[in-house]
Formats: sequence, structure tokens, C-alpha cells
Amino acid sequence: MIKNYIKIAWRNLKRNKAYASISVIGLALGIACGILIFTLITYHLSFDTFHKDSDRIYRLYTEWHDDGIGKSNGVPQPLGKAFRNDFTIGEKTARVINFTGTLITITKGNDVKKFQEDNGVAFTEPEYFDILNFPLIKGDKKTVLVAPGEAIVTEKIAHKYFGNDNAIGKVFRLDNKVNFTITGILKDLPNNTDRRQEIYVSYGNMDEYTGNKRRENNWGGVYSGSEAFTKLKKGVTQAQIDATTAQLVKKHYVGRDLKVWFFKLQPLNDMHFNPELNGYADKKYLWALFFIGLFLIITACVNFVNLATAQALNRAKEVGVRKVLGSLPVHLFWQFIAETTLITLVALIVAIGLSYAALPAINHLFQSEMDFNIGELSVFVVLTSIAVIFLAGSYPGLVLARFRPIQALKSKLSQKDIGGFSLRRVLVVTQFTISQVLIIGTIIIISQLHYSQTADLGFNKDAIVMLPIPKNDKATLSTLKNRFTEIQGVEHVSYCFRAPASQSNNTTGVNFNHRAEDEHWSINTKTADENYLATFGLKLVAGRNFFPTDTTREFVVNESVARKLNMKPQDLIGKTLSINGKSTSAPIVGVVRDFYNYSFHSEISPICIMPNYNGYSTVAIKMNMRNAKATLASFEKVWNQTFPEEFYSYEFLDDSIKKFYELDNTLLTLIEAFAGIAIAIGCLGLYGLVSFMAVRKTKEIGVRKVLGASITAVLWVFGKEFAILLLIAFVIASPLAYWAMHNYLKDFQYRIPIGPAIFFESILFTFVVAAITVSYRSILAALANPVKSLRSE
Amino acid sequence: MLSLQHISKYYQVSGLKNYVLNDLSLEVDEGEFISIMGPSGSGKSTLLNVIGMLDDPSDGYHYFAGHAVHQLKEKQRSALYKQYIGFVFQAYHLIDELTVYENIETPLIYQDFKSSERKAMVADILDKFNIVGKKDLFPAQLSGGQQQLVGIARALIAKPKMLLADEPTGNLNSKQGEEIMELFRKLNREDKVTIIQVTHSEKNAEYGTRIINLLDGKIASSKKL
Ligand SMILES: Nc1ncnc2c1ncn2[C@@H]1O[C@H](COP(=O)(O)OP(=O)(O)OP(=O)(O)O)[C@@H](O)[C@H]1O
Ligand SMILES: [Mg+2]
Repeated sequence: MIKNYIKIAWRNLKRNKAYASISVIGLALGIACGILIFTLITYHLSFDTFHKDSDRIYRLYTEWHDDGIGKSNGVPQPLGKAFRNDFTIGEKTARVINFTGTLITITKGNDVKKFQEDNGVAFTEPEYFDILNFPLIKGDKKTVLVAPGEAIVTEKIAHKYFGNDNAIGKVFRLDNKVNFTITGILKDLPNNTDRRQEIYVSYGNMDEYTGNKRRENNWGGVYSGSEAFTKLKKGVTQAQIDATTAQLVKKHYVGRDLKVWFFKLQPLNDMHFNPELNGYADKKYLWALFFIGLFLIITACVNFVNLATAQALNRAKEVGVRKVLGSLPVHLFWQFIAETTLITLVALIVAIGLSYAALPAINHLFQSEMDFNIGELSVFVVLTSIAVIFLAGSYPGLVLARFRPIQALKSKLSQKDIGGFSLRRVLVVTQFTISQVLIIGTIIIISQLHYSQTADLGFNKDAIVMLPIPKNDKATLSTLKNRFTEIQGVEHVSYCFRAPASQSNNTTGVNFNHRAEDEHWSINTKTADENYLATFGLKLVAGRNFFPTDTTREFVVNESVARKLNMKPQDLIGKTLSINGKSTSAPIVGVVRDFYNYSFHSEISPICIMPNYNGYSTVAIKMNMRNAKATLASFEKVWNQTFPEEFYSYEFLDDSIKKFYELDNTLLTLIEAFAGIAIAIGCLGLYGLVSFMAVRKTKEIGVRKVLGASITAVLWVFGKEFAILLLIAFVIASPLAYWAMHNYLKDFQYRIPIGPAIFFESILFTFVVAAITVSYRSILAALANPVKSLRSE
Repeated sequence: MLSLQHISKYYQVSGLKNYVLNDLSLEVDEGEFISIMGPSGSGKSTLLNVIGMLDDPSDGYHYFAGHAVHQLKEKQRSALYKQYIGFVFQAYHLIDELTVYENIETPLIYQDFKSSERKAMVADILDKFNIVGKKDLFPAQLSGGQQQLVGIARALIAKPKMLLADEPTGNLNSKQGEEIMELFRKLNREDKVTIIQVTHSEKNAEYGTRIINLLDGKIASSKKL
């Protein structure tokens, strides 16, 4: 019997090639997207799940409760030590302090090699490797990093620095300050960890490296690279944790700080997903992807069910005859299932091929190294296939099998009898709804990104090159500046800590005009020289720029400061501003127009700009792009002559600003692709449906044409139906999309409004695509010779 | 073997009951060969469909081989049908997707015959109907008459106890028609198959043992030969 089912199924598909290929393509696209999204989601969920007792591992983090709540994944440097020594709930606690942009020098005879690692170098307490599962393949776990001057690196780094030589015992110099001897080699890091450091050095060398012994006891500042991890003892309760952290604050802070500072524990499994604490992937986006994947599979299924039921109408006669010949409903049911199984299997093979082809592109997009997890994936694929097979196969099977044979036989089973038509309408509406939601989403993300990338940031970001300043003694800085200014094509040169918009920021408390109480907001300090305003095109709205100087004697602030103080900009001029715990006080001499100091995701902070040569770590050069290549070459030459021991690198400011929107761009590409696929599947479905309609209406069209109907009149027979369905879908999709995108835009402090134009564009687009699909097929039907179509009945 | 009592069948047309069969009663004994005649639209096909349990009457009692058909469930009816009845359609109703061979074989599949048995039986009947050469063709490749022959072969393959035939010779030439009628007569006499056929031809009707004339859904006359 089964052989018979398969034979018939195969023959049926061969006879209905169009139906079979439309179903296969649609389904394959849907399943392929499902496979990819499934892989993506499981990949992100697998982050840092390979550590032993991972449910007991936490990271300490800082919260400031003042005007608003501020959070940092970093903690004051002494916190980890205090947590370990003064409290008992932690089994193991380790501090790990990471510095990026560090220079590593390796000397071998006269040969000097310089390296810079994006992931930085971490001063680490040895317990770190008891908490997290990063095994050593060489070296003694009991002793590494215990004594000062030791380092452990991954196999990859060892190979990069020393080739095939044994790296153990080799020495490297960090930032031309401290030497470290390698005493251990770590197994290469797995892809699915956020702890990306590959070079760990003894914590004992911290003071020597920073040249600042006070850091070890500084409870007042938080460097975001300073982290503390702990593995709690078994059975520690939340109440115990809260009591411990409360005591920590009580012991180390006084006065208002007692109410401001909070320390909390972030579970390991939250770290990858919490963007507030430097996590990469907001779970919200994973959920969004999950739903898009689900939508795509549903569209593909809907498509398939749709075609299968439409096609089943043409099978009514066959079903009738079979019943007369003694087939039971079960037989018919399984026959339809056999057919859908066949299609699904073919689609599955195509889908797997597509997924393999697309994976490298997805990896490139996310800069990840995902691979298919065959085990999990096969469960997913098998379950999906079974669902698809039964959804698509059982409907026609059950419906057709139900009819009395003579009804089916008369082949006068109309759409109405089979009930399928209204079902089919619902399905088409579902498909249209899904594609419209995706289209609206795409339009909104594109508009927002376009807004972000072209909107006035309040400062000039074009043609500005940023170079690092590894050393800042006055003499070097002033010669360097002169030499840069002499280079042809250079318009302005400014020393600063960072550009106006940067991911690296210093924030401090403020006292205004000798008020008794400090302000309840903090200020973002931008250390920069007097050319900062000119280089970045910042506009003064009141007062003047500060005079050239090396130390902070005057401040320029932004409008947000005035707004926070509820004062007019010009009224700030001449008033005293104190920052860094009143260690720096100076009058305000100018107010600049607000500029975006983060991305559009964040609010503009109150900012003060002040000179202080100690804080300069970057030189910003506004240049003329006409001769960019030669100018850039001159920069490199001058820089290398000034800092012969350092590592040259440069970045254009607009490139680094683009990085703020990396995730948005990634999302956009994905959603564009998925929306495109959803539309493609929808169109395939439409084409198929119109084809079946055309077959069923061949006679009607023939008669109409004989009676003198024009082609347009015939087209309207098809068009009317779909136009109405499209409108219904639009009415359902609009609020859904509005809701979803409203939530997406909420993450942007500065965002585009969701206006009616967006919805209009979406429906217009869908309408055009649907119209092309429908009319192409209906024109074929309308042009057919009437006599031929009449005879075919 | 078959008893119809006060059978009615009507269609609701704009609120009015349009009777196709009107309070019709009929007894058929085993071994009879009945020819049903009547003008077009008088309800002949409908009556045959009701007898063959392919269509439900609106009213009345229907007994077949000792079962009260009007009380049976679909599944039981289907089983009863499989066990007793072969049906030849006015419009052939072959399955387009299957070859001649497979069309004839299908009832055997549904009746769970073994593959080897099926082969023998189909070969036998192809031979009897002289269509061995056509066995691998699809219905669309056959003439109307040939399709009708396949339809009859398919109805007879499982050796039914009752054969229902709706204008079996409608598309055949008179010689072919005669051959089929001879075959029916032989089946009726030698194999004791009960036959009910609908026909427009007086001559073919005479092969039967009883002729029933239908008019407006009622039996107008019944004549034993
Ligand atoms: N679905 C239906 N709705 C309404 N009336 C119907 C339907 N099916 C059949 N009829 C009517 O039932 C009547 C009997 O039809 P039937 O097919 O039994 O006639 P017949 O005697 O077999 O005619 P012919 O000799 O032309 O085959 C016809 O008048 C037809 O119009
Ligand atoms: Mg008839």
C-alpha cells in the first residue's frame, strides 16, 4: 500500500510540476531561514554555559542611584578584595582588570616585534581560573600568576608571538613599562564566551604598571575594565547577598555616597544578554529573531497548505472514484500525507543545502563563528517537518475524504463545499500580514539608521583622523603639533581625550557656583585643548572659547548643563564649576550648542570641556581629503619618528561613529533579507493560488470572452479578490507593526516619528508586488483562446 | 437482496422541494437482471446511486443484503459496498493519474488482495476485454468507448455480487454494445451476479429479466420478461 501511495504521489507531483516546485521553493526558503535562526539563537544561548557550577558564578557590578540610575559592569578596584577577605559567602573571588590598546614588545636579539591586541591585557588574580573554565594546557595551575611578573597566554597568541618555539619562559614587555615571563599556556578560547582576553598577567604588577598606588584603595571611581568575579558557596540566598553588598557600601562610603552607591551580583547567564552591563546581544533581539523565524516557517507552511488545498479541489473527482472503488477515508488521508511528505522531504534537502550556503554570510554579518549543531538541529528539523507534513497534508485529506462519493464525483465541488476557500482567504491574509509587518519594520529601521547616519550630530565628523598619543609630556606634544600643522592638507590639530562622541567617557560629580550641596546629576568631562571647538566645528552659543593653556583654568560647557541648572546659557558665564570632588574648580567661560556624545540610543549628557595635557590620549586632525593618501602617509611618518617604540594606528572619526550602529546595521541586513524572503514566499503562494483559480475559472473566462468581455474585465475577476484580502491584511498588520516598532524605537533617545507615510509605502509596495504576480498569471489566463478553454471542460 | 421502501430524494431549489425520486419503492431479488429506462432527467442515475449507497436518499428505508442501510455508518456502508457492489459510471470516471492497468487494479488494492493475486486477476480481465495492448496507457490516451470498457472491467475485477451500470454502452458502437450485453447476460446466468443497468436502448433493455420505466421520480411501469 505504501509503495502504491508513493508511486501515485510521485506521479502526481510530476504532473503538477508548477505546484510541486512552488511548494518546494517556498517551503525550502522557510525551513532554511528556520534552521539559520535556530542556529543563531542556540549559539547565543550557549554563551559561557561551559563553566562548571555556572549557576553559582557571578560578576559584581556597580549601580549609582541619583537623579537616575547609572550602571557599570566595572567596580572600584578594592571591591573584589574586600568581598573576598571580609565576607564568607564567596567560595572564590577574583579581580580581573583589563587594559585595551596596550602595546606588547618582544625582543629577540636585535629583532624587536610589536603587537597590539584588541582584546587587551588583563591583570588577573589566579582564582579567576578556578571560577571560570579556561583550562591550561601547559604550566601549573596552582602557581601561575601567583607571583608577580608572570603571564599566561592562549595557544593562538603563543603561536602568533613565538611561532613553533616553546612559549614557556619567554618574556614580553607591556607598554614599555613592565616585563612578564610566560609560565602557562591556555587552551584556545571557545567561540561562545564573552571573556575574550587572551593575555593574563599577574595582578601583583598593577601598581607598577599604572604607576599609581592609590588605585588599589580608591573606592570613589569605577573603571569599566575593572571587573570582579565570584563563585558563591552552595546554598547562598539572595538575602545573604543583599546583606553582604549593603555592608560593603556601609563600610566604605560616607555621607551622600551611602545612598548613591550600590553593588550587585550579575549571574553568569545574564552577561551575554544585558546591554546595560556591556552584554552583546539583547535578548529582545533574539526574541524578535525567533518570531521572525517562526513567522517565516508559518508563511511557508501557510503557503504550502494553501496550494495543497487549492490543488485538492482538482482532485475531487479522483477522490470520488477512489471512494467508489472501496477506499476508506484512512487510505485517502495517508495518500495525501504521502504526497506532502514527498514535497517536504525534497524541500528539506534543498533547505539544508541553502543553510550551508548561507551560514558563512551570517557568520560574517555577526562576526561570529557559528557552526551547525547537528544533534539539536536534527530534532528541530524533524519536528518542523512533521508539523509541516501534517498541517499541509491532513487538511485536504480530511476534507475530501469526508464527502459522499457522488458529491465529489460530480466534480461540482465548489470552493464553498470544500470550505477551503474561506480558509484559504484566512491563510492569504496571514501571509500578507506577516510580510507587511516585516516590510513596515524594514522601512522604519532603514529610516532610523538613515536619520542616525545623516542627522546633524552637533559636531563635524567628516575628514577627521584620530591618532593615539601614547606619551604626553609637554615638549613632545608641542613639537608633534607643530610638525602635524606643517603637513600639507591639515586644517586643524587638537589634542583631546576622545572625540565628542565616544564609547570611552569620564563622568564625575558637579558642584555649581559654590552651592552647599552638589548637583544630583553628573557631568561628562572632555579633556581637550583650545582647538577642539574649531576641529570638530562645535558652535558657541554664549561666551568664548578658553584661552590656550596646559591645565584647567577655564571651562566650556554644553547647553545641557544650562538646562540641568534651569538657567539661560549666558547666565552661566563667569560662574564657578567644581568637578572631581572639588579638586578642580574654574569659571565657565563659554557654552556650546548640544552635540550627541553617544549614539542616538542615549540621551545627551551635560558636558564640560577643559584643557589638561595629562588627560590627552588622542590627537584629532581635521584634514583636506583631496590629497588624503599623501597626507595620511605623512602622519604615519611623523608619528613613527616621534614614538619609535609604539604601534601606529589611525581611524577616521566617521568610521568609529558607524560602530555605534553596528548592531542596528546587522539587524537591518537580517530583517531586509527575511522580509525579502517572506515576500518571495508570499508571491509564490499568490502565483500558485491564482493559477488554480485560473484553472477553475477557465470556463468562466472563456464564456465571458465569448460574450465580449475585455482583458481588463477578466483581470478584475482575479484582482478584486486579492485587493480585498490585501487590505484586510494591512488593517491587521499596521497595529502589530506599530507596536513592535514603537518598542524598537524606544531604545533610541532621538528617533524618527512613525508617520502614516511609512504605512502607505508599505501597502503600496506589497500592492505592486502582489499586482505584478497576480496580473502576470491572470494575463496568461485571459489571453488563452476561448474555444480551447471551453472545450477543456 | 435489495429493498427500497418509500424512498424520496429532493433538492431544495429556492425554498421549494424539487423531487427527483418521489416515494419510490422497489424490491430486487438475488439473480435478477433489471433494466431501468426513462426520459432524461427522470431520476435514473440518482436511483442507481442510491442503490449503490453512493448517495443518500432524503427519506425512506433502504435494506441491502439484510442490512438497514439507512442506519449504517459511513464505514460500514463502505465495507458493505466493497463486499457486494461493482459500479459502472455513465461518465466512466477513470482516475486520470493512473494507467489502464492501475485503474483496474485499484479496487483490489483496497480489498487487500496480495500483489501476485492482483497481477493474475488483472491480466485475466484485460484479456477478457481485449485491452491487453492498452494496459500502460493513461485514460486521456483512450477513446470514449475504450474508457467505458476499462470502467466495466474495473467494476467486474473484484467479482461483485451485484453490478450497477449507468448506461454502460452509451459510448460503444452497436457491436461492442452487444458484446457487453452478452457478457452481462453470461455473468447473470452463470455467476449469479445481480445486475441493474440504466439504458436508453430498447434492445439492450431486453437482455434483462425485468424492465422498469421511470417517470418523474416514480416507477411508471414494471414488466417481467
Ligand atoms: N445537485 C442537484 N441539485 C438540483 N437538482 C439536481 C441535482 N443533481 C441532479 N438534479 C436533478 O435531478 C434530476 C435527475 O437527475 P438524474 O441524473 O438522475 O437524471 P437521469 O434520469 O439519469 O437523466 P439522464 O438520462 O440524462 O442521465 C434532474 O432533473 C436534475 O436536474
Ligand atoms: Mg443519468
